[in-house]
Amino acid sequence: MLNEERVILMTKLAAYEQNEGRKMVAVGKYFRSDYIGIQVLKSVIGSTVAFIIIFALYILYDLENFMNDIYKMDLFVFAKNVLIYYAVFVVVFAVITFFVYSYRYTKAKKSTRTYYMNLKKLASMYDKNNNY
Amino acid sequence: MSNLLEIKEVIKKFYAKYDVYVLPVLKFLLALVVLLGIKGRLGYMTRLNNVAIILIVSLLCSFLPVGFMIFFAAVFVLLHCYSLAMEAALVVACLFILMLLLFFRFSPKESVCVLLTPICFALHIPYVMPIAMGLIGTPASAIAVACGTVIHYLTVFISQNAQTLGAGEASEAVARIRLMIDGLLGNKTMIIVVVAFIMTVALVYLIRRLSVDHSWTIAIIAGTISNIMIILVGDLMYDINVSVVALILGSLGAALLVLVLQFFVFSVDYSRTEKVQFEDDEYYYYVKAVPKMAVAVSEKTVKKINTQTGRSVHTQTGRDEHLKRPVSTERQVRRGNSVTIGTKHQPDYRNDDYEEI
Repeated sequence: MLNEERVILMTKLAAYEQNEGRKMVAVGKYFRSDYIGIQVLKSVIGSTVAFIIIFALYILYDLENFMNDIYKMDLFVFAKNVLIYYAVFVVVFAVITFFVYSYRYTKAKKSTRTYYMNLKKLASMYDKNNNY
Repeated sequence: MSNLLEIKEVIKKFYAKYDVYVLPVLKFLLALVVLLGIKGRLGYMTRLNNVAIILIVSLLCSFLPVGFMIFFAAVFVLLHCYSLAMEAALVVACLFILMLLLFFRFSPKESVCVLLTPICFALHIPYVMPIAMGLIGTPASAIAVACGTVIHYLTVFISQNAQTLGAGEASEAVARIRLMIDGLLGNKTMIIVVVAFIMTVALVYLIRRLSVDHSWTIAIIAGTISNIMIILVGDLMYDINVSVVALILGSLGAALLVLVLQFFVFSVDYSRTEKVQFEDDEYYYYVKAVPKMAVAVSEKTVKKINTQTGRSVHTQTGRDEHLKRPVSTERQVRRGNSVTIGTKHQPDYRNDDYEEI
């Protein structure tokens, strides 16, 4: 016979799994440090590419002057400045990523906790049924 | 009001019943509008202007995730720019990649704003976007709205400078890149509008989250006013020649549209607010519960009254319409725990022939 309470619970769980739960469960499988670490790493790579693009556009913007000056200027100082800008850019971006994904991880954990509790409840319902 | 709520319920029911069809149709229409808009604004690659291509891509978008729609729109913009001038395409591609790397990996959900914002600009109601996203989105939506605004001004810039960009010699490549970057970064109107939009989204979001009655309406009004003020102050500071009439009319139109949106997303009855306090082992709870407005949609029941079988032959002669007679329509207006039932009876039309049987 159909157990109405169980069907309702299963429907809820299935709906959660299909929608927001899919991402949340995937996030919940990581350790906190692993998850945030991966995201920060992705951000570092992304911001590196972004910095290269911005730098290339900056050079292209003033290409003629840059080519004229290139023999006059101190390339080491120039490289040092560029590296400092790069470091600041990447660090700022990584810090933002760290905070955003820490928040998301906590949220996902909370959300999956309810999900796993409901799963346990469902399992116990089956147990009860089998005992009778 | 109850009529409006009833219409809302009907729309909700319709959507719930046919969402399998409604969603693809809406996506198709959005993709079509976006691609036609790109064709109208840029349209430099004649092969892409073929309606058949636009229709096919829109159809593809109707069942693919929204991200693909943005991808196709970006590809279309890039191809049009490419056939105008390669440097334009280069700068636009760099901008798109930067947006993707720096912003959209954080909030892929709201990236559809990037498409909606230019559409709203084209419809002269751009101020809808920041207020609406402040209401239904998160502060992160501000970035998506800002990106959409940048893309709108970029396409406007390209279409205004199409001759300069398209006519140059190959040796002027660097000059064209410079023109594009200047057009992007030196556009004071764009910067002011972006700042205004970001601040409006943040303000609207903050106010609507307050636990004050009518916080949504207050947020809409405050957002509209702050938006107008920031743009006007920017206009005074940088002399960008904003049309004040268009700004105010556009803002008022936007506020009205957002009020309609509010009705659909968030209609509550503050007169029945309940405040409760309770505690458990870990927390004290100060709960304010505001009930949603709701009406039960009137259901019309049609009862068929059949005559007795022996005499049915007599009534069949051209009088079938009397056999189907609406009995009554019931309309319920739910208000909290009390239920008011109003019963409307149809005029009880008597028919002598019918009564005789």
